Amino acid sequence: MRQENVTSEISSPDVKEVCAFLSDYAAWLCGCGATCIRIEKNVYRMAAAFGIRVDLSIMPSHIILTGRDMKDGASFSLVHTVCRSAISFDMNTRLSKLSWDVADGKSSYGDALSRFEEIKHTAPANKWLVLVLASLANASFCRLFGGDSVSMLVVFVSTFCGYRIKQMMLEDKADVRFVFVCASFFSAVLSAGCHLFGWGDTPGIALGCSVLYLVPGIPYINSASDMLDGHYLCAFSRFMNGMVLTVCLSLGLICGLLMLNIDLA
Amino acid sequence: MIMGIMTDLLQDGFFAAVAAIGFAAISNPPRRAYPCCALLAAVGHALRFGLMHNDLMSIHIIAASTLAAFSIGVLAVWLANLAKCPAETCFFPALLPMIPGMYAYRAIEALVMCLYHQEEEVFNHCLYLLAYNGFTCTFIILGLVVGANIPVFLFKKMSFKVTR
Repeated sequence: MRQENVTSEISSPDVKEVCAFLSDYAAWLCGCGATCIRIEKNVYRMAAAFGIRVDLSIMPSHIILTGRDMKDGASFSLVHTVCRSAISFDMNTRLSKLSWDVADGKSSYGDALSRFEEIKHTAPANKWLVLVLASLANASFCRLFGGDSVSMLVVFVSTFCGYRIKQMMLEDKADVRFVFVCASFFSAVLSAGCHLFGWGDTPGIALGCSVLYLVPGIPYINSASDMLDGHYLCAFSRFMNGMVLTVCLSLGLICGLLMLNIDLA
Repeated sequence: MIMGIMTDLLQDGFFAAVAAIGFAAISNPPRRAYPCCALLAAVGHALRFGLMHNDLMSIHIIAASTLAAFSIGVLAVWLANLAKCPAETCFFPALLPMIPGMYAYRAIEALVMCLYHQEEEVFNHCLYLLAYNGFTCTFIILGLVVGANIPVFLFKKMSFKVTR
């Protein structure tokens, strides 16, 4: 009963409420790893359905949204910080679906708000399953680069340990760059066993592949997509984010190699 | 001969699919997207392998990666309609097995060797290795991301309506 009252009260929202919702929506969509073109399309689609006109500026860390009421011309501008959540294609898909449901009239404003809240609290995938799948992926990667079965096994173990360290440190809210250095260092040191103990015929491939699970592929791909769409600031920002993480993983790898005094020549 | 090529292609496709599923899991996609990621990765990687290792014309890894990424992009736009999730959800993880990890590693390896060796001749060779591997790695990544994104922009209407 209470829910019905709330829904009826906000079924004809004013421009200020809609702008607050849309800026929050855009901030979450940006945070979960959507490209700029998708953020714009989704937000404009919903704004049109709510009867307001919006202009959106997507900055590297902020969303600036200005909404104008088509009837009385009232306008509001809002600045919203981008939500720093983990990349989630599931959230991206559900938020995109929500925008279409609003545009097609299948979802009222009140319904959209409650669904949005639900999407924001989406539980992440099972961490142990992700851990095993990521380790298997990296071992397969090793095979693709010509590694033998011993190297694949070593890469599996080093990825498993490195990725677990990454998960634990991120759960403890450690700085993501420091996390990358540590995870890369541990994976490199463990996989250096092939070099040190003469395991298998492809120790170089095992060592090289052990840290590849850390390569931030999604920011690089998003960066190219933003560049093609003319969002150069965001493209540059995402590229630099990827570069910083790549440098961090390289740093961990180099520290591991130098510490073990591995002769690469 | 043909059986050998087919076995190599299937093996390449299989390991690329496993890699794509694992890397997809890191970015938390919807469950229905996993088969698409696996299929796209298998097709893309096997195509690149076929383009690079054949008797007719061995294409350079940069061009082969770009062509394979383009084919992944085209298929992703179509498969995204079936999976009802954004095209990027399907093709981003499928591209990850083609990221030139070994070139990146060899560039880092060369950098470490530059730090190790002071003799001019050895240092110059290490610097050459750093530049060669670094450039190759950069242009492969550029080819991958541009090649895969072009179909999404070419079929814009289709790409952004899949979650409807």
